[in-house]
Amino acid sequence: MSTNEIGSVSAAVSLTVNGTKVEREVAVRTSLADFLREDLRLTGTHLGCEHGVCGACTVLLDGAAVRSCLMLAVQADGTVVTTIEGLAAPDGTLSPLQQSFMDHHGFQCAFCAPGFILTAQTLIDRGQSLSRDDLRSEISGNLCRCTGYASILDSIEAAITDALGPLIDTSGASK
Amino acid sequence: MRASLVGKLVGSSVTRKEDRRLLIGKGAYVADVVVDGMVHAAFLRSPHPHAEIVRVDVAKARRSPGVVAVYTGEEMKAKTNPFVNFAMLAGLYSPVFWPLATDRVRMVGDPVALVIATSRAQAEDALEHIDVEYRLLRPVGTMAAALSPGSEQLWPKNGSNVVYEHTDTFGDVDAVFASAEHVFTERFSSHRQSNQPMETRGCVAEVTPSELVFHSATQSAHSLRWILAIGTSRAGAVDTLKALKANRVRLKSFGKSAKEFLTANKDELSKNDNAGMIHQVRRDPSTLRHIGRLFSNTLALDARRLPRVVAGDIGGAFGVKGHPSREDVAVCAAAIDLGRSVKWIEDRVEHLTVGGTARDETITMSMAVDNGGHILGMRADLVVDQGAYPAVPFGAPLFTRIMKVMMPGTYRPKAFELRTRVVATNKAHYVAYRGPWANETWARERMLDIVARRLGMSAVEIRLRNMYGPDELPVKMITGPTLDVEMSAKATLERANALADVDVFRTAQAQARESGRLLGVGFATFHEAAPGPPDYADALLPGGGMISSEPIRTVLEADGQVSVFTQQVPHGQSHETTFAQVAADELGVPLEQITVVFGDTNRTPFGLMGTGGSRGGPMAGGGSMFAARDLRKQIIDQAAGLLEAAVDDVEITDGTIHVAGVPARGISFADVAGAVRREGKAELASSVSYDGGRGGWVQATHVCFVEIDADTGMVSIPRYVVVEDCGDLINPAVVDGQIRGGVAQGVGSVLYEKVAYDAEANFQSSTFIDYLIPTATEIPAVEIHHLQTPSDKPANFRGVGEGGMIGAPAAITNAIEDALAHLGVTVTEQYLPPTRILELMGVIARSA
Repeated sequence: MSTNEIGSVSAAVSLTVNGTKVEREVAVRTSLADFLREDLRLTGTHLGCEHGVCGACTVLLDGAAVRSCLMLAVQADGTVVTTIEGLAAPDGTLSPLQQSFMDHHGFQCAFCAPGFILTAQTLIDRGQSLSRDDLRSEISGNLCRCTGYASILDSIEAAITDALGPLIDTSGASK
Repeated sequence: MRASLVGKLVGSSVTRKEDRRLLIGKGAYVADVVVDGMVHAAFLRSPHPHAEIVRVDVAKARRSPGVVAVYTGEEMKAKTNPFVNFAMLAGLYSPVFWPLATDRVRMVGDPVALVIATSRAQAEDALEHIDVEYRLLRPVGTMAAALSPGSEQLWPKNGSNVVYEHTDTFGDVDAVFASAEHVFTERFSSHRQSNQPMETRGCVAEVTPSELVFHSATQSAHSLRWILAIGTSRAGAVDTLKALKANRVRLKSFGKSAKEFLTANKDELSKNDNAGMIHQVRRDPSTLRHIGRLFSNTLALDARRLPRVVAGDIGGAFGVKGHPSREDVAVCAAAIDLGRSVKWIEDRVEHLTVGGTARDETITMSMAVDNGGHILGMRADLVVDQGAYPAVPFGAPLFTRIMKVMMPGTYRPKAFELRTRVVATNKAHYVAYRGPWANETWARERMLDIVARRLGMSAVEIRLRNMYGPDELPVKMITGPTLDVEMSAKATLERANALADVDVFRTAQAQARESGRLLGVGFATFHEAAPGPPDYADALLPGGGMISSEPIRTVLEADGQVSVFTQQVPHGQSHETTFAQVAADELGVPLEQITVVFGDTNRTPFGLMGTGGSRGGPMAGGGSMFAARDLRKQIIDQAAGLLEAAVDDVEITDGTIHVAGVPARGISFADVAGAVRREGKAELASSVSYDGGRGGWVQATHVCFVEIDADTGMVSIPRYVVVEDCGDLINPAVVDGQIRGGVAQGVGSVLYEKVAYDAEANFQSSTFIDYLIPTATEIPAVEIHHLQTPSDKPANFRGVGEGGMIGAPAAITNAIEDALAHLGVTVTEQYLPPTRILELMGVIARSA
């Protein structure tokens, strides 16, 4: 097939996005990110690199953090997707994690914010305790160019502490 | 004076006004902009670093599905004016170039053709159907090749790949060096780096029946507006003359403004000779023709076609989005030509390839010192690789002027000389990157450590011995600007030294070495003109003070809200919060009552600087203070009448205006606005043009501790300390965030990030797997200590946007050399990935 032919092939997808059932016909080459941003106008999902490194496009797919730039919309058929727009309460109240990012000046330009927030949400959902170093590793798949990460780590740590109790203290463990 | 600063908000880490929308995914970044009937742009880019374009065949692409239009370089040339530099420096050749490559490509990624299609995917599909025949030219792939007389010339009219050459001399350098007891010389080189904000560049040129709205991720909306106007207002001579004749009113008003400008800036202008322009025109006489044409074209421009630039939320920039781009002009011209709205969002591969690169520099530095370690003289030879095209509206040549002023630091050499050359190579073009002059600090602070080691002194000792202390202030730097009485660089060093506890560290270092562990510590001290003293601009450039004032307008709105209008375009710096903090304290109102308005050239005051140069806090923060203070006076005047009280008896408490001692019988800001309206008076508003007052410096010392893994060459940073003095902190969390972010980019630049080319200028780092942005596991915790030297300045704010990145490369490389010093290693490169560390240690053989 030529590229033009690929562009003309479409398929039906049906999925649940932020609690709403969505049915659409999409070009098969459409990425999940473009589908969310362009077809559903959920522009909170950001495209930073489109090659799976920066993590800005992270969404939750059946509860797991995935890169929506590396996945086709047709592959998300039958799944449950949560984007950054799906976290706050309908009345606009921020989720505890979002509130923590506000309280701790988590972000600056905030282009990377949706990816960090959704990745961090999986840590809370998982419910396992972890250390600050674990936390660094867990978010090392998301890039931020503004903050040097300290404020992001502080924001997530505070939210995890509220939800699950204090982080594991490893300060005396090594060296 | 300071009493007025004592409010509830300034000095407090209040949460950010911008955060609510950004945290719920409702920010409005340029990629989120969708307008009716919008079509999409994609650029065909050169795969070659240097080649002549023999033929471009776009016939098949024009027939590709969804394609609306295809423009070749020649076709775009006919619809645009070229980029021409107006602010010529003596000794600068600035080539005339066009939005798309015409006769030649000069870098990998050079835009060759523009496709407009109904979707981005279709536009990209069509790119594959464009056939370009190139005749390859010898690429200039290194600084050495550019300096070699026999190399292929990027700009033959210049007769050389050296586009700028200048020498500045202060004091009797030859005599000082001839009589010194020691002269030490090292050649330092830094590698090509890139800003790489998480959001790439992009724009939407929206064509409406009444105006052209240019949505853009830009740091400087007003300068982009005028570059777009100049670039797209191409018209024939006859049409231009007709339009000029029809537009007598405009011509007259232009003449009036020009006269006013010339009169107002007579002193500044008289300092500038025309040597720069004469140098340019001798090399390229067409410069004058282009300037004449674009000037008359722009004057004749139908006002409805003067683009209105609108910036929304911006996903970072660090300098790169302060430069109007060739792509911006091409997209704008296409939208005008087609009468349709056009969107272009750069992808990451494009941004890594041609978004902009910086800091590819060598500095050969000599220091003349006596046996006591006193620095008598400094001499440096600087070469900057600006790549294929100069930055717009200014770039490497201008930033070398800042390096010239700042290179001696807060030390006291008796003589200083800087030779500067800027060269052109077939690499991506130069852009400003956070502290674009930072290598003056890196080379100097690196050299001080080398000199100290050779003289058997400590790094701290040599700095303290040579640095101006408080008892010597005020004093003029040898390069001109005054170090005022609040200059506290030495105090930051002393405090950092106490915090670092180097004696204890040396013991630990010695013990660690015995067990094969390599520890090191490095110091670096710098100062930055943010905004600088009043005599700073003159030291930079003759007449440099002309554009340095900052406009702020405050308005009492009908509903009692106060708007603060600024030409600043925040992109992560939290200006919506910090300017509001300043204005709210002045007015005595809560933060919620202030709205900071930015980004829209139809609403914001004119200013060409935009956001950059660490000026937001000091200049626009200060401007907000004075514009709010003046508005408060007007509000109180009006309220006094309503309250039937004397002006001096009227107070504002928590947003309520009342007679002193009777807060219960107060009126609101909305009441005042209503009264103004009922009386038929103009809205209450204040416009200030803030010149920075007495200005001043921001200064800091960074201390980096490293541990080097002797087996792998990996460098880790167990502790990093910053002691800084930026005057009063408007919002400490914002200040700390700026410093930490700058340090993080410094860590990236030394240990991870490199824009890679082979010797033939073929680009080799086009993904984030090649260009390594540090993650949370690489960036250390940064301890920040604020000194606040007492000051009676009414607005004692100084900028912190760039400092982190200025200090970090020096502190980190100094620490690395300290860790390896027992092996006889001298660090002269800024890029020190594990392989290079192992080479320096002699573990692996040096690569060529």
